[in-house]
Amino acid sequence: MTAASGSARRAPRLELVGGGVERRGRWLLRGVDLVIEPSMLTSVVGPNGAGKSSLLRLLSGTWRLTEGQVLLGGFDLAALPRRQAARRVAYVPQSVRPAFEFTVREFVTLGRYPHESRLFGTRSADRGWIDRCLDDTDVLALADRRVTTLSGGELQRVLMARCLATEAEVLLLDEPTSNLDLAHGLDLLGLARRLAGDGRSVVLVLHDLNAAARFSDRVAVLDGGHLVAEGPPSEVLAPELVRRVFRVEAVALPGAASTVFDFEALG
Amino acid sequence: MTITLGVRRVGFWWYMAAGAALLVTFAAVGLFRGSVSLDPADVIAVLARHLLPGEHGPVDPRVDTIVWSLRAPRVVLAAMVGGCLALAGAQMQGLFRNPLASPGIVGTSTGAAVGAVFALTFGLAGAFLLAAPLFAVGGALLSLLIVTRIATRDGYTPVTTLLLAGVALNALLGAVNSWLIARSWEQYEAARQIAYWMMGGVTDRDWRYVGMLLPGMIVGCVVAAWFARDLDLLLEGEEVAASLGVDIERTKRAVLWSAAILTGSAVAVSGVVGFVGLVVPHLVRLLLGPVHRRLLPAAFLTGAWFVVGADLLARTLAAPKEVHLGVVTAFVGAPFFLYLLLRHEKEVAVSR
Repeated sequence: MTAASGSARRAPRLELVGGGVERRGRWLLRGVDLVIEPSMLTSVVGPNGAGKSSLLRLLSGTWRLTEGQVLLGGFDLAALPRRQAARRVAYVPQSVRPAFEFTVREFVTLGRYPHESRLFGTRSADRGWIDRCLDDTDVLALADRRVTTLSGGELQRVLMARCLATEAEVLLLDEPTSNLDLAHGLDLLGLARRLAGDGRSVVLVLHDLNAAARFSDRVAVLDGGHLVAEGPPSEVLAPELVRRVFRVEAVALPGAASTVFDFEALG
Repeated sequence: MTITLGVRRVGFWWYMAAGAALLVTFAAVGLFRGSVSLDPADVIAVLARHLLPGEHGPVDPRVDTIVWSLRAPRVVLAAMVGGCLALAGAQMQGLFRNPLASPGIVGTSTGAAVGAVFALTFGLAGAFLLAAPLFAVGGALLSLLIVTRIATRDGYTPVTTLLLAGVALNALLGAVNSWLIARSWEQYEAARQIAYWMMGGVTDRDWRYVGMLLPGMIVGCVVAAWFARDLDLLLEGEEVAASLGVDIERTKRAVLWSAAILTGSAVAVSGVVGFVGLVVPHLVRLLLGPVHRRLLPAAFLTGAWFVVGADLLARTLAAPKEVHLGVVTAFVGAPFFLYLLLRHEKEVAVSR
């Protein structure tokens, strides 16, 4: 769409092989085999405590696996120097609320860290790149605002811009829509969709199954620390699975372009 | 925690130029004025003799002593101490992601105080000049070692644990300090020295003290500069910083040790000068924003002119007697700190 997105390379395969993580004697995730297909938008869904956030931390390399491996383009992610890994996989944790008064431009420039030189810092080429990232996420007009004054929707876009600033081919976003109203939520999913269309792999943790069905190429369903299903939304998100995993009655509404459920509590 | 004080940012180079002008002005006043009034021409002649190469005319040895041996080292030392404390404070506030952190938050300045008081009570300081400063630096580093040992599990040092361990050690070392002071009560000279030292000041400091502070200052500044960018990322939380490629534990260690060296060396030569390391970096962050590449040098410069100015007040407020430097900085710093705190409370109330 714009220069920034056009120059993205085709994303490498990101793969979790037999992945498991144990914290304080509890397995948050175990025996997970998952392939994040290149250039696709993958949604991770599951009830609270299913291990969605843990999955993203493992895929981003910020948490070490207790067992198994993360492979990026076939190579062990843990063996890659952290800065190199950061140039390829970007991660935004859940509900980040900036506490310090960076301007939007300064905040997005933090994403240049893995490319910066310790002695000379940010170069002018970096500054041009930041402009393109801001433009690509439609926040160029906010460049001089303080991040502490942004609305939830603006902040999510700025966080996306920071991901783009790293030039990573894989973007991992933990519940990017959880604090957004409907319009901003749809807006952000549209942006994620567009970025995936540009050749990046985008992984979102979502709670809204209808949004997952509509916007994703693939859906991964987690329950109790295990991967219970993975595939195209039309195949994975069946009423039977929704009932089993989410413990709600799901009725597919007829006539919609993608699967749209109406939910009801189990009687 | 969101601190929004609605202060407009100022340009970095303007700020630095203004700071440099203030520093030069205060330093000049510090050299020209004092309990003995001197002819400005004589002062300039002395400075030229020591600082400029080539042949110079004769100067009055009495004037030379007053300007070059008494006033000049005092001004230079005040600037260095202020810079070191403000820089260390800026680092600690970044590391703890808390704009109300002070340089000694992990116990380093209290540790330095115990080291120096130890040297003074046991008469080591009388035996050789370097004893008190060396013990002070040792005390600071030892305190940090203890705190990090306590707070580290499996190579990971959570900053909250570090903070709590620091609070505990601060309390403990404060008690040790009181005990050392109490048992030195009968030794009048030691007790007097300790009291002076605890109040902080750069009175009667000669060039040897400048030489003592210089290595610690250089090491501290170099390490601080090297890890300045990493601190920017740490402000956004360890998870974000790690995902962007920051080596979190290495950054923590480097920042903690450089701040401890800066704080320990400063406390070693000037005693306990409070509030500089707390208020100065906070104020500079409000004016220039949180990016450490600008914040750290600006905090250093601001601390420098602030303490040179405070020392000027200390000398002149109750002349010919002196008020202690630490007393002046606390008198200026504490109300300002309270002001920031109350404004912060208001902000929190509004944002609820």
